[in-house]
Amino acid sequence: MIKKLPNKTVVIVGGGLTAALAARQLTDKNIEVLVLERGGDHTNGAEAKLPTQRDELRWDTRQGLVQDWSVQTYTLRYNRSETALPVRWMEAFLPGEGLGGAANHWNGHTWRWSEYEPQIRTRNETRYGKQAIPKDVPLQDWGTTYAELRPYHELFEKLFGLAGKAGNINGAIQPGGNPFEAPRDGEYPQKPLEFTEAGLVFKATAEKLGYKPFPTPAANSSGAYTNPDGQKLGACQYCGHCERFICEAKAKASPEVLLYPMLKGRKSFEVRLHCHVLGLKYDAAAKRVTSVHYVDLLTGQEYEQPADVVMLGAFTMTNTKLLLTSRIGRPYDPVRNTGVVGKNFCYQANSGVSLFMKDRWFNPFLATGSTQVYMDEFNNDNFDHTGLGFLGGGGIGASQFHGRPIGGRRVPPGTPRWGTEWKRANAQWYPHSMALGIQGSCYPHRENYLDLDPTYTDAYGQPLIRMNFDWRDNELKMSKYVTQKMADIAKAVGADIVGPANPLQAPFDTRIYNSTHITGGTIMGTNPGTSVVSPRLQHWDAQNLFIVGASVFTHNAGYNPTGPLAALALRLGDDMASYVERPRRL
Amino acid sequence: MSDKTTDIHQRRGFLKQVAGATGALPFTHGLVGGVAATSLAATAAPGAPPATADPVVGYVCFSQDEAAFVETMVNIMCPADEFTPSGVDCGLPIYIDRQLAGDFGRGAKRYSRGPWQPGRPQQGYQLPMTPEQHFKAGIEAANQACVARHRQPFDQIAPADASTFLNDLASGNVKDPRLSLAAWFNDLVYPLFTQACFSDPIYGGNYNKVFWKMVGYPGLPATNTINMVQYRGKPFPGAKDPKSIADFS
Repeated sequence: MIKKLPNKTVVIVGGGLTAALAARQLTDKNIEVLVLERGGDHTNGAEAKLPTQRDELRWDTRQGLVQDWSVQTYTLRYNRSETALPVRWMEAFLPGEGLGGAANHWNGHTWRWSEYEPQIRTRNETRYGKQAIPKDVPLQDWGTTYAELRPYHELFEKLFGLAGKAGNINGAIQPGGNPFEAPRDGEYPQKPLEFTEAGLVFKATAEKLGYKPFPTPAANSSGAYTNPDGQKLGACQYCGHCERFICEAKAKASPEVLLYPMLKGRKSFEVRLHCHVLGLKYDAAAKRVTSVHYVDLLTGQEYEQPADVVMLGAFTMTNTKLLLTSRIGRPYDPVRNTGVVGKNFCYQANSGVSLFMKDRWFNPFLATGSTQVYMDEFNNDNFDHTGLGFLGGGGIGASQFHGRPIGGRRVPPGTPRWGTEWKRANAQWYPHSMALGIQGSCYPHRENYLDLDPTYTDAYGQPLIRMNFDWRDNELKMSKYVTQKMADIAKAVGADIVGPANPLQAPFDTRIYNSTHITGGTIMGTNPGTSVVSPRLQHWDAQNLFIVGASVFTHNAGYNPTGPLAALALRLGDDMASYVERPRRL
Repeated sequence: MSDKTTDIHQRRGFLKQVAGATGALPFTHGLVGGVAATSLAATAAPGAPPATADPVVGYVCFSQDEAAFVETMVNIMCPADEFTPSGVDCGLPIYIDRQLAGDFGRGAKRYSRGPWQPGRPQQGYQLPMTPEQHFKAGIEAANQACVARHRQPFDQIAPADASTFLNDLASGNVKDPRLSLAAWFNDLVYPLFTQACFSDPIYGGNYNKVFWKMVGYPGLPATNTINMVQYRGKPFPGAKDPKSIADFS
């Protein structure tokens, strides 16, 4: 029996970063907000306290903070002629569970994407001609601009106490920063994180080759910090337990540290934990969502929660699934190229190379989630693609985030996998190795999309999301090109041993961590025929339904998505407040 | 199986061979699930402080035959040498036993609904067995293959043959009509081995933090804000004396 609850003004599905940011804007104006979160509150658990917080096996290897795959996972097939199979244990990307979502266990990298990114199709057509974009690559402008999002980037960076070095202040390029950075108002709220030895090695080599390396902008606090809301961050302790871990020192910015404690003190805010949303009730005639249907995981009771406004602020897969199962909008059909829900599913095209230097001490454990030195010369459209046969690119950097020994040891190629020689290699090289890596863009492809699996179901009996995905021609060529650039830099370092620099290969491998940045499925745009939500993130088929998440991105860049995600969420909070005052198409 | 007394005797004989070959001291107690600190104690300075925790003894998941297989395997993969004691003395079988007896072995957080069908390796594990079931099915299949090849189960063949057999398992040269033993060894057994070596000692392996000491991993210290700058590009002294969960509890 489903119990019906009293109406709420705004109901947000998913308790991650976007929910908290939008709720901040709404509750600032005393607008009533309810957040529904399927997980619990991690604040006082073993995951957030010493010494249990520093348990590599539990939180890293065994994915302690990650979504429970036994409840809900995704299926995968590489092309339409195959039967999809469930990914029974996912390593490639790691969505979170619990209040704060994946922002509890993120690294902390925070980029403003390139200035041209929201106008990606226009940019490429203008520079290379219409024919340069292949017919089966549905690149799409977002319908908004960096200039419009810029003030929200500024706000988010202050709220989260970003540490970094500005590369572009109002158009003036700054030494030491990223010369390709979108223009910003001023320096970062905090100074950059300390360089690691690996970062210094990369910096020196890249500079020698004429590139402009810079420290990655980070939400890992380089000092003690108080944000504009009076919320505080401690200084980073470089403990090497950042990504996949909650920061027990409250030095990594997250909604659980900076937003939810404040929101819970506001009268108009409520969060319900352990509530799994099963679907939306959609009135097709009125073209509006009337309520949210969820099950209380502590009691098993199902509820119908009526709302004036509903916002989907969940993970890419969940946002897409709720539209498909609730039949809001038309599912994408790759054969006829009709419908939109599920379209433009993208990921990130990454690769790496290991270096071994017997006389350099790298101390990999003295690090944090964003101790990375990066260069942008081969990222996105920062370089001329004429004649290269692909679009997009990747950032190249030296990443040293941890030395946790189960997952964080490197041995030279050819080392035996066990025995005395294996031990000798580990003992010899553990403190003397570093790595270069690429985070590459991933542009949409006609055959890369999400839909509902016809066979496999989750713990609630609902169909799993099916990934129709593989690395396509554009990404394979891009990866080959940028990986060669990385290999050249690796060679120029002058290491004793350089491992293989292998470009990305098909098929997509679910057994290897890549990044948690999957995008698309509920894409934004100006045309209702090719987008799910408007440039204001309002659903084209349901005026009172808004969606924010990486699911609205029409493509994926060679950057982490958190920055533009946060900017969009803050703007959406303002937009929803405006909508509550006067319901209309924005 | 044959007479238990003979089995125990033969396994003891094998372990003596391993100890003799590598120069490690023989055990002083606790053969089954024994985590004797004999080798470590023998190398400690006179009056050295005792180990931080008593060794864990006994198996909760493994039968005696399964334990024999695992102990033989880990002693080959982690021989007693200048770096560490033998795999058994490092507690590796204890770690593997406890993981298979717990959440991991029961397949916690793994999607386990049917239907079942083989896929591409990149789609991940697709068998209906839990990790514990898979591990044990693999031991049985590997032992059958070993009997077919050497007329004896794995823990009773000569050390050189056992080492070759492991390499053949890993490279796919040991066949079973129903199971892929290469996938079993490479995707299930081998990760458990490396985890046993490098997990926090609270899980039973990495006894006395011997692997952390070997590579120079300091473990759990709370703050490195100063260390990070002070020891950049230099050896870090804290790596010589690693701290574990037990040290902070």
